[in-house]
Amino acid sequence: MAAFMKAVQTRTSMNGITKLFTNLSLTSSVIESPKRAFLRSTPTLHCAFIHLTSERRDLMEFFDDPKNWGKNEVRVGRSWKKDELRLKSNSDLHKLWFVLLKERNMLMTMEEACNNANEIFPNPERLNKVQDSMSNLESIVRERNRAYHLLETGQTGERPGKLVYNCLGLRFYYQMRQYSIPKFVNTKWYKTHLFGFGGYATRKFLRLYREQLWNKKRKARTRNKNRVAMLMRKFPNMDLEAVKEQFPDVDIEKTKASKRAKSHTVPV
Amino acid sequence: MRLTSSLLRRVGEWSKKYANLPDSYIERAMAQVYWKTPKKPNYLPRTIERKRFRFSIHRPWTSQFHRDNAPGKSHKFVHVEPIKDWNFFRGDRVEVLVGKDKGKQGIVKDIYQERNWIIVEGLNTKLECQKIGKKYPSIYMQQEQPLLVTSQVQLVDPSDMQATPVEWRFTEDGHRVRVSVRSGRIIPIPVSSQETIDYKLPQLYLEQAKDTTKADMEKITFEPALKTFEMDIMEKMDIKEDRVPKKFYWY
Repeated sequence: MAAFMKAVQTRTSMNGITKLFTNLSLTSSVIESPKRAFLRSTPTLHCAFIHLTSERRDLMEFFDDPKNWGKNEVRVGRSWKKDELRLKSNSDLHKLWFVLLKERNMLMTMEEACNNANEIFPNPERLNKVQDSMSNLESIVRERNRAYHLLETGQTGERPGKLVYNCLGLRFYYQMRQYSIPKFVNTKWYKTHLFGFGGYATRKFLRLYREQLWNKKRKARTRNKNRVAMLMRKFPNMDLEAVKEQFPDVDIEKTKASKRAKSHTVPV
Repeated sequence: MRLTSSLLRRVGEWSKKYANLPDSYIERAMAQVYWKTPKKPNYLPRTIERKRFRFSIHRPWTSQFHRDNAPGKSHKFVHVEPIKDWNFFRGDRVEVLVGKDKGKQGIVKDIYQERNWIIVEGLNTKLECQKIGKKYPSIYMQQEQPLLVTSQVQLVDPSDMQATPVEWRFTEDGHRVRVSVRSGRIIPIPVSSQETIDYKLPQLYLEQAKDTTKADMEKITFEPALKTFEMDIMEKMDIKEDRVPKKFYWY
């Protein structure tokens, strides 16, 4: 009992201390330590108990530091690159993910709040920077898991899938699902998953569909050819290798000889 | 077709260099989606959006660009001469070959690769009248106009300070350099070409309050172990998984 009382006492005193600290940091503008350093560091295990972010656990965590309110500019660095994330341990990545997630929530809330208040949301590219970092982080985690599974089982360990044809004869990537019963028992699955095609109507549809695709391709080719001809007419001293690079499917020599490529002015 | 449309809406590498914005943001800021199919199985993923943009001296993420490319507004197609290598960088000394400032030399201030344009500081200007309001008198300002890199400007050879055509060659060490065709002298790429709105040079970047410190970023904490990410995290957080998963089939 005594030990329990002691623990309660220490806890209350600790609470008092933390309150004191938060008060201090709120009042004093001399201390420059950032209260909510979100992207700051990914604390490693030995210093995991040092929190740079003040633990407020209230709705205000969804908002930015009041210092940044009404500012025209909030400067931040770039997003995390994949190569930098490869240096970090799994637990660091795990922590960084939540740091980024909190930052993203904060930015989205601030964007909404700024829109509602009819104010400028400073540096909206921050959202993209956080999202880029998060997608990079996700790909690194995936990379590590793939490596483990490939080493252990010879398979990627990811959700399997395959290219199949639907009833219209269009090919798509079917992502498989997990089922508790085997395929041959699952009669309902066979009713809803009709792969493969056949019949006169489907073949007619496919013919017309392919014609459409072909027409698009043909038009693009003609467009490019005309564009090159116009370029030749407008810029007679043009670098033809650069044209070849930009329009690889156009026959440069043939286009050059064409009537369309000739200008009515005398070349200088 | 998709290739052509992506070529048309591409923002040049050197035009976006100074702003130091992520590509995904530039794409988001530029996009004008009029209709997008809902994310449901009975819809094919289709979008109706603006494909042809008019690039001018306004950057794609600015409101002026949006005004230029307002919905329903169409422009005459602009033919842009393809160039193999971009030769003009911020801070380069160039000579103007046309216009009222013909023969004068200046420093490259802005690059617009989508139109093959550069703006030379203080040269090729136009008087522009800026009206502030009825109460106040309007202001006349000298505004630099863009110049075509293919015909209207040339780089200056540092050996004799004369305009010269350039080409890219390799040095003995394998570095790719710009060389003056006339004198064969290397024209170094200026340091200010690396400048962005955030820093003069990448190594001179001042860390901001929200940034990860360089030391923290460079610290190697990864230790290879025969575990998946989830296994490692569960071990670190003392989570024991004793449930046996049911047998399942993938199909």
